[in-house]
Amino acid sequence: MKKILSLLCLLMGATSLFAQQLPDVKVEDLEGKIVSVRDLVKGKPMIISYWSIACKPCIQELNAINDALEDWRKEADFTVVAVSTDDARLKAPAKNMATSRGWEFTCLFDDKQELRRAMNVTLTPQAFVVDAEGNIIYSHSGYTPGSEEELFEKILELKKKK
Amino acid sequence: MRFLVTILLALVAVVPAVAQKKIGKGQASGSFESTSIYYMDDKKLGAAPEDHFGSNNYMKVDYANGRFSAGLQANAFLPVLQGYDDLADGFKFYLASKYIQWRDKNYEILVGDIFDQYGNGLIYRSFEDRQLGFNNSIEGVRGAYSFGRYVSLKGMYGRPRLNTDYAKSWVRGADLVVSLADICGIQEKATLSIEGSYVNRFQKLTLGDNYDKIRFEETGMNTPNLNMYSGRLNFGWAGLSLRGEYVHKSKDLAPNAEKAASGSAIFGEVGYSYDSFSIIATYRQLSNMATRSSLYELGMANAINYLPALTRQYTYMLANLNPYQVAADGEMGGQVDICYSLRSKENRYRYWNFHANFSTFYTLKKRQTDIGKRRVMWRDINFDIERQWSKKLKTILLFSRQEISPTHGFQKEMYASNIFVGDVTYKFDRKKSLRVEVQYLYADRQNGTYNYEGDWVAGLVEFSLAPRWSFFVQDMYNIHKTKTNYYSGGFSYTYNRTRVQLSYGRNRAGYVCSGGVCRFSPAYTGVSLVLTSSF
Repeated sequence: MKKILSLLCLLMGATSLFAQQLPDVKVEDLEGKIVSVRDLVKGKPMIISYWSIACKPCIQELNAINDALEDWRKEADFTVVAVSTDDARLKAPAKNMATSRGWEFTCLFDDKQELRRAMNVTLTPQAFVVDAEGNIIYSHSGYTPGSEEELFEKILELKKKK
Repeated sequence: MRFLVTILLALVAVVPAVAQKKIGKGQASGSFESTSIYYMDDKKLGAAPEDHFGSNNYMKVDYANGRFSAGLQANAFLPVLQGYDDLADGFKFYLASKYIQWRDKNYEILVGDIFDQYGNGLIYRSFEDRQLGFNNSIEGVRGAYSFGRYVSLKGMYGRPRLNTDYAKSWVRGADLVVSLADICGIQEKATLSIEGSYVNRFQKLTLGDNYDKIRFEETGMNTPNLNMYSGRLNFGWAGLSLRGEYVHKSKDLAPNAEKAASGSAIFGEVGYSYDSFSIIATYRQLSNMATRSSLYELGMANAINYLPALTRQYTYMLANLNPYQVAADGEMGGQVDICYSLRSKENRYRYWNFHANFSTFYTLKKRQTDIGKRRVMWRDINFDIERQWSKKLKTILLFSRQEISPTHGFQKEMYASNIFVGDVTYKFDRKKSLRVEVQYLYADRQNGTYNYEGDWVAGLVEFSLAPRWSFFVQDMYNIHKTKTNYYSGGFSYTYNRTRVQLSYGRNRAGYVCSGGVCRFSPAYTGVSLVLTSSF
């Protein structure tokens, strides 16, 4: 028992030395085309938000970002990517929802959950802020109304660093 | 004591989330997830387990350097939570997955545990779902090659994981995708592809005892090879999309089947969208499609393929009380899903979202019913209306009528529930918000008696202080049969990629379903600590 706990502590301590870049994984877009996630890096910062049909706070977060997007874009140029983790069961309803909601995002569908595993997303909602070179500079889990402001603050910080 | 140790572990896990550095050219990332429950005695539910404690923990670490990557995942059950009995009997610590991978421009190769899917997963899907305690990854080798955007081919060979061990079988498969749209040069206007897959399971029929030998002889299971073939067509143009798949499966022995039999599946889907309106209709037919990784074992995680319930998945308590479970031996049916959004051009904070969904599934074979005729097993018609009134106020109204056959269509009896939900969110300012849910389940009455457990009522109040804190209390009460309150309350704290949730409450027994897989979760009262962190 002590050995197990020590091992876990050691692993977690060791991993504090590491960082993450956007992984090179291919997923499907809204039209059914296969796109490489690295190809989405086009010299602009990016917000990546993971969601699924059965995740109510995820949809709340995406709606909140979409509502504020017009105001935010007056202050900074960036893109938003919504990644659905719905599998074969709910991929079709997820596409249905993404189409009708008027989300001004790039919508990706990670039904094989390859991207989710590569980015170590264990809990949704989870949102990332990625800089113009594809480095993940910030991330948060969960959503409470208003926490989308944190994402935009990070985008503004990136703008100031330029 | 163990509960305190787990909390200490949780604190240690917070550290990685706040300190991130690169080492050389490579970089590492990972995640930690822990769910611990202290079970308590409850007069309504009975005594808690003797040990009073369970804790499921998952640690995953990945390393990437250019085109090379590697990783591993360790699971620790200290001991295993109630309801995950297939995973371990008490304490267990093991390496759940590992891999090394090289990913080049046109090809990739992976040695280790494979998570992948062919087509819709009808013949092969390996994945992990921790809530279900499910992991059927294939330990072996996978290779993939792409000829530009025109053709992509992948193949794999290995042995499937079965809970914390491996099935005594070998699985191999290949998947081919040909993009006709790219070949014909119309990829900017349309998507068109033909696809095909093949999967083989090899398992000797001489591995078991005399009982297995007799069972195989009596059921006619006389070959160690199972072959599955899938052909698919995908088409998309403007707002229209069409997808189809046909599957044939050679002779196989399903769990509890009297005879070994071949199987088949048909999947068809048509979708159309225009502006903010979209509709999608799906049809699926299954016959003898339950495919185990091992003929010698039973259990939820003993599966190679993926057969999800094509029904709406709800986020509300009372709408999830009796979910539909797939009849893999024989079912036909589908769903229609419609979305429409009405938005103000002047004000982005004012809009309506309308959503309706209908799903129904019938028996496929005569022997599935007592009258030898087709019978409905499940029907759900539901709609919800979401209204964003202003920056501050949002309301959702939902209605669902669900009809389910408790005998999977064998007998005439059906349970019917009518579920009403009201959901209001009010934002006081940029940080403070309140969400309230009110739910009522009205069960149909037949001959003066209530269907199943009768009526239920439920409510939830959630107060959030963005971006860190959230507090909630909820209760679900059965009015007619058990007259039991299932209450809970707790809070969560989030700091960047680390989230801790502490709650206390009484939980109802029931099936936790994800996709086509359902795990029975026993009732319990206790304190629960959930921690997730990634870095």
